[in-house]
Amino acid sequence: MSDEVVRVVTPFPLTEAQRALIQAKMERFLDGSSFSLQEEIDESLIGGVVVFVRDLIIDCSIRTQLEKIKEHVLKGGLK
Amino acid sequence: MIRIDRSIILQIINFVALVLLLFRFLFKPVVRALDQRSQFIRGELQKIEDEKKNLEATKRALEEEAARAKEKYLEIMDQAKLEASRIKEGIIREAYEEGEKIKNEYRRKARKEMEELLSGLREDIVELTEEVVKKFLATQITPEVQTRLIDVFLEEALRELKAQVEAIHER
Repeated sequence: MSDEVVRVVTPFPLTEAQRALIQAKMERFLDGSSFSLQEEIDESLIGGVVVFVRDLIIDCSIRTQLEKIKEHVLKGGLK
Repeated sequence: MIRIDRSIILQIINFVALVLLLFRFLFKPVVRALDQRSQFIRGELQKIEDEKKNLEATKRALEEEAARAKEKYLEIMDQAKLEASRIKEGIIREAYEEGEKIKNEYRRKARKEMEELLSGLREDIVELTEEVVKKFLATQITPEVQTRLIDVFLEEALRELKAQVEAIHER
């Protein structure tokens, strides 16, 4: 029985290959602890993935990257 | 022989007596009166002369007073001109300073407005660019690209997290 739930949010439904990839990476990160993936769709992410594990949010989405760039530009980082 | 008429002698005596009487009772008072009159006239003339001297002294005093007044007037006028010049310079300086203040205030406002405008413009451009980039990227994210994104980004994020956790444990 799974002890942990790892929430995975993507803009599109995961393919088998993507699911396997995420699972492998999270297993390594959690040092082999058992977990189950809870998949969600959020089209606003555009691309990439957001992972909620334990009390961590691992945001690897294109949306967040664009927001960081936008914030940087608005603060005058690019002139 | 010379015959002297008695009436002639009487006439001579009468004439002498008349002259003596006239001298005593007429000539002397007339002379005295004339002397008095003469003295009076001399006194009046002296008074007139004195009055004239007084008038001349008064005239000189008035002329001196007028000269002093004129001098004082010129001095006051000079001071007034100096004061007017100082006041004029002060007004010009204040007006210049006020003008500079207004000019600087307008410059500051213009700069602020320009900055606000540029800031708004920058925000608009960034928003617009973001929308365009999002739309463009949305068309570019194929399943293969998404897989690659997950692989690279998640790998990198997890590695960083792991490193941070290890660093905390080492402390």
